[in-house]
Amino acid sequence: MDVFALTAEALREPWRLWTGHLVHFGWEHALANAVALAVPWLLVGSQDRRRLAFAMLLIPPLLSLLLLPSLAGVEYRGASGLACALWALVGLRLAERRGSAPVGQLMLGGLLLKLGMEAALGGGVLLHPEGWRTLPAAHLWGTVLGLASALPPWPRPRPA
Amino acid sequence: MPRTPILVAALALLAILGCNTPETHVRRSSLMDYLYPKEKAAPLPNPAGARLKLPLKLGIAFVPGGHASWRVQNLLAPGQEKQLLDVVKQSFKDRPWISEIKPVPSAYLRSSGGFENMDQVARMYGVDVMALVSVDQVQNTDPRWYSFTYLSIVGAYVLPGDANDTNTLIDAAVYDVASHTFLLRAPGQSQVKGSSTWAYREKQLREHSAKGLELAMADLAKNLDAEVGAFKAEVARGERKDVDVVDRQGVSLRQSGGRNFGGSFSWVEALGALILLGLALRFRRA
Repeated sequence: MDVFALTAEALREPWRLWTGHLVHFGWEHALANAVALAVPWLLVGSQDRRRLAFAMLLIPPLLSLLLLPSLAGVEYRGASGLACALWALVGLRLAERRGSAPVGQLMLGGLLLKLGMEAALGGGVLLHPEGWRTLPAAHLWGTVLGLASALPPWPRPRPA
Repeated sequence: MPRTPILVAALALLAILGCNTPETHVRRSSLMDYLYPKEKAAPLPNPAGARLKLPLKLGIAFVPGGHASWRVQNLLAPGQEKQLLDVVKQSFKDRPWISEIKPVPSAYLRSSGGFENMDQVARMYGVDVMALVSVDQVQNTDPRWYSFTYLSIVGAYVLPGDANDTNTLIDAAVYDVASHTFLLRAPGQSQVKGSSTWAYREKQLREHSAKGLELAMADLAKNLDAEVGAFKAEVARGERKDVDVVDRQGVSLRQSGGRNFGGSFSWVEALGALILLGLALRFRRA
């Protein structure tokens, strides 16, 4: 097994709690997830990026711990759970603002559509990779954690 | 006092000490004798096969000897049985597919008890699968060329004229309790060599017997881990028609193929995200 992938060994090798979201099953897998991660980063606005960076540091281990019971002897790789968390966090944040509410609502709507399709039709509806399968629980828990991290009050932007 | 009987006795003693011939000690317990005591009445496994739901509760026990003259308790020193079973227990305690490993004392297993006895013990300990460990240990003692010095009595206590070899083979067979389906087997072996004087031969043989079992058990734990991996791969490839493994989500290993999990966005979703990004940036500029 890969030393960076998320497995049950993560309780003894804690770096896996973070690195499991960085390693992927190939370039295509990594690139699609990188695009999904980049979009909320570009939309969030420069004043909120520090908060987003903090969330990116804190969410991976929590998400990993929530996923561990689902991994029976196999490993998990991929940043999509984290991407879902960022989409939920940034989507909710933008939806609260008057100027960017439609964008935030579109992000949340897209995310809900993805989760709904996965819940109804099973993991990997649009993706049928060789050698691994999608874990819908990663997206669901990522969304929950993203929404939860959006709840604490955000610092108000300083007046110019 | 007649000297002839004393002389004869002394000569006989010397002859016994001097005629140091090779000796072999065999200790054996047989899985077949335990599970299939009546050859013609061997029960057939459930045709539906085994359906194992992860994580498993595993029981592990030494099989009792097939004949009344020998039981595994005679082979192991008091307390050693649990110590040996703990070697396997420690090796598997972190495996995610096992929730619990319970060492079962061999005293609970009847000689020639069959599946009926295995079911009783499994129910008593609440385990899903049983690993039955059988032992085959052979100890050979060969006299060295200078073992004739035992004739001097002093030599029997001073010169190590006996070459002692202990070969141990341990075999673990794992059965599904509900269906009596044979799942997998793994061997463990060891060889311990040494020399001893005539006087300390038995002591060394006992020590080597215990050490041989310990080494073979450690080898068994290593091999069992590899065999479990091979077993899972066979089930995932559909080569074991009589066995299915179901993970914690209720997904069959045959269906999932034992594949790893990945968190993924499809290209359609990634494209949708990029379109959303383009719209948002355009909206922001406007």
